[in-house]
Amino acid sequence: MSTTTVSASVSTSPRIDTLFLGAAVLATAILVALVLLDGQTASAALVLGGFALGIAFLKAEFSYTASWRRFLNRGEAGGLIGGLIVIAICALAVVPVAALWPGFGGAIAPLGPSLLIGAFVFGIGMQLANGCGSGTLYTVGGGSGRMLVTLAFFIIGSVLGSLSLPSFLALGGINPVLASDYLGPWGGLVATLASIALAAVIMAAVAKKRGANFMPSRTYIIGGIVIGVLCIAVFFAGGHPWSVTFGYTVWGGKIFAALGFDFSQAEFWQWPGPKRALTGSVLSDTSSLTDFGMIFGAMAAAAATKRYAATAWPPLGSLLAAAIGGLLCGWGARIGFGCNIGAFIGGVASGSLHGWIWFLAALPGCMIGIRLRPLFGMSRD
Amino acid sequence: MRKTYIAVVLLAVIAIVGDHLTSPSSGRAVSPEDFAGACAPCGAPCPVKK
Repeated sequence: MSTTTVSASVSTSPRIDTLFLGAAVLATAILVALVLLDGQTASAALVLGGFALGIAFLKAEFSYTASWRRFLNRGEAGGLIGGLIVIAICALAVVPVAALWPGFGGAIAPLGPSLLIGAFVFGIGMQLANGCGSGTLYTVGGGSGRMLVTLAFFIIGSVLGSLSLPSFLALGGINPVLASDYLGPWGGLVATLASIALAAVIMAAVAKKRGANFMPSRTYIIGGIVIGVLCIAVFFAGGHPWSVTFGYTVWGGKIFAALGFDFSQAEFWQWPGPKRALTGSVLSDTSSLTDFGMIFGAMAAAAATKRYAATAWPPLGSLLAAAIGGLLCGWGARIGFGCNIGAFIGGVASGSLHGWIWFLAALPGCMIGIRLRPLFGMSRD
Repeated sequence: MRKTYIAVVLLAVIAIVGDHLTSPSSGRAVSPEDFAGACAPCGAPCPVKK
């Protein structure tokens, strides 16, 4: 391979992929126009907030999945601590506003077997899929064909999870435990920030003990701050912390319903929220709005710098892992009340105990997922 | 892969617009948590009724 060949290929590669950059901007403009025609400025803000999140995630290469893996494999805590920056910033708005301002609420969830099992399974799936809820969105938007497979199976798994969730809830549990319910809005915020600081100290101690780095990179610090601020913007636009995977469930429900599946006997789809989401416009579901925005934002960011989706399809083993991982992520996210975003970030930033329980239950799942990766020809790192 | 992406993006945009135009007008975007009795982001009810 000569230098001449490399230079030639670089010089002929377009710096901007106008086709996909144009498609991403046009698609976003269409969605924004549709919701604005209905007078829904908050919906337009959610699409644009998602768009900005897609750019931020792609540019910072902010990956929760890889951060978990680096921590478990090598003890490197910088990525996870970068993730805690997002949560701490988000909590500054979510905890007090959700407690004090009518019309706003935190991300809460019951504590019980459903949460533990769902988070554990999600942890396995996340490592096989090589992406969580947000990771799947921005890598799909970034032009990864492999993650298209993950997304498709994530959606299928999510619908299967919607059918299983009532049985898992029947196993028992207790109502959500929210710090602000016990300590008030400001006491709840202090407790939440203290829990995040404690987690950061523990992660740093583990890293230090294993001789690994625990400082987030400059990119992760900047990315974490930007994503944290965008999380607050999404919270104010939608009334609840940013969530991802309910959108997948709605898309899957609509696709399956269009194919003739009858959800009228499915308990999940008779609850008021899911029932309305299934029958209403997909653009009236808050998580779908940010999801669409995020995909197109990442697409625009990727297409603005290089030829889009120019890589070859990965080997069959990797595609199989993407499919199995997506399926497990989808099912686990529904049973465990969300992904890294909806359950971990949203939960902890709301001062809800389920966020930390989700994290602790997903951890052993991740360890198993990492061990399974070589079976599909994937590196453990 | 580019052709796959072109097809997926086209299909997705057509599906979103089609779904929006054929669904009943719903006003403000909502989350399942906005509904009474919801105890989780997916709208699951609380184990113990409040």
